[in-house]
Amino acid sequence: MRGTRFFALVSIVALGLAGCTKAAPPSPAAPTPGLAGMYSDPPATAFDTFCFFACTDVGLERLRTLLDDPGNDARPYSELSGEAVAYQTSEYVRPRLSEAALAAAPLDPLQDPGYLNCEPWGFVRQVFAPHQLEITQYADRVELHYGEWDARRTVYLDRRAAPERQPHTPLGYSVGHYEGDTLVVETSLVTANIAGNFTWDGRHSDQLTAVERYRRPSPERLELTAALADPWVLREPVEFKKVWSFAPDQEIGPYDSCQPAAARSAQETTQ
Amino acid sequence: MTPKHFLPYVAAMLAVGVLAPAAAHHSFAAVYDGSRTLTLDGKITQFHFVNPHALATVDVTDEKGGVQQWTVEFDGRLNLTNWGWSESTIAVGEHVKISGAPERTGAQRIFFAKLVRADGSELLRPASNRLNSVEEERRQRALQRTAPTDQK
Repeated sequence: MRGTRFFALVSIVALGLAGCTKAAPPSPAAPTPGLAGMYSDPPATAFDTFCFFACTDVGLERLRTLLDDPGNDARPYSELSGEAVAYQTSEYVRPRLSEAALAAAPLDPLQDPGYLNCEPWGFVRQVFAPHQLEITQYADRVELHYGEWDARRTVYLDRRAAPERQPHTPLGYSVGHYEGDTLVVETSLVTANIAGNFTWDGRHSDQLTAVERYRRPSPERLELTAALADPWVLREPVEFKKVWSFAPDQEIGPYDSCQPAAARSAQETTQ
Repeated sequence: MTPKHFLPYVAAMLAVGVLAPAAAHHSFAAVYDGSRTLTLDGKITQFHFVNPHALATVDVTDEKGGVQQWTVEFDGRLNLTNWGWSESTIAVGEHVKISGAPERTGAQRIFFAKLVRADGSELLRPASNRLNSVEEERRQRALQRTAPTDQK
């Protein structure tokens, strides 16, 4: 931690010297925001439930309009949230998809490698995966441990660029830094994969990049805003949000009982 | 089975997701028919509290005295623990009525919605608890909205 703070202090001083004829006095390094802990499903409120996987400002605003309309009081929440999701998709997500992306959709969910072969999800689905997310902060890195698939990511804080010949991987290569109370994570080198079900129905290319911003506005709440860009699939970056609740009593259990589709069929045939 | 249109597919996936969060591991809508409910009356023979989905087997005795084994798929341990479930929430040997959405292929498999024990107590899907909370919040919201009008 001391080394990192020293590095930050040196950087601030160096930037100040480069940008000003008269250097400003160095300010003390900002404290690292306390993001560490176990989080899980969002609070059981109308808006947070809408962001169980991924939501957008457009979708949230639509949901707010629907909920505020007394004419909708008798309609079930599931119907209203479904309408807001459809609006979000048609008005925000779909217009940002390229022709190539639209041509490649829809995907057949029964051909999903996760369902067929128990193949763990790639970056986009994993970032918006439901349930547990455990964050561990170190001086030089942050570890993200997901309940879904028992997946782990490392975010390098020392601004290392990806090593030369770093291969593409399903979860990519992530570097990060703190901006005030926010952890900013930049990810690239992600293997081409399925993007849906939580963001857009279709695929993304190996040119996908992402900027995730994690902040904890209260001890009980973790929020993510993630901007995704992909020249193959997106005309412009799309921004999705997600919410978790602090859940210190949760544990991430082993993810060892996935049944490939073929195994399910075999089991059912023998019954 | 293959979705025909882009928008309805995404909307349905996410709308179902709100209703069935832990079915995210695979597409609930593609595998199960959420528009139908099937109720099994039988004895629990196995309950595995595992990821990505908890599983139970139920022996159901038909009219001719034959025993049919059904599989019940639940939300995963990841989600169930959020609502206080554990390995002992459902006991092997318990006689239950258990309801859920049948698999589209006609296989003897349902996705759990509700369990009624012999004493009449019920166990609901975690998604139901969440939706009940949300609906209560909406009722309160509606009351607050009308309160100033009542005072006039």
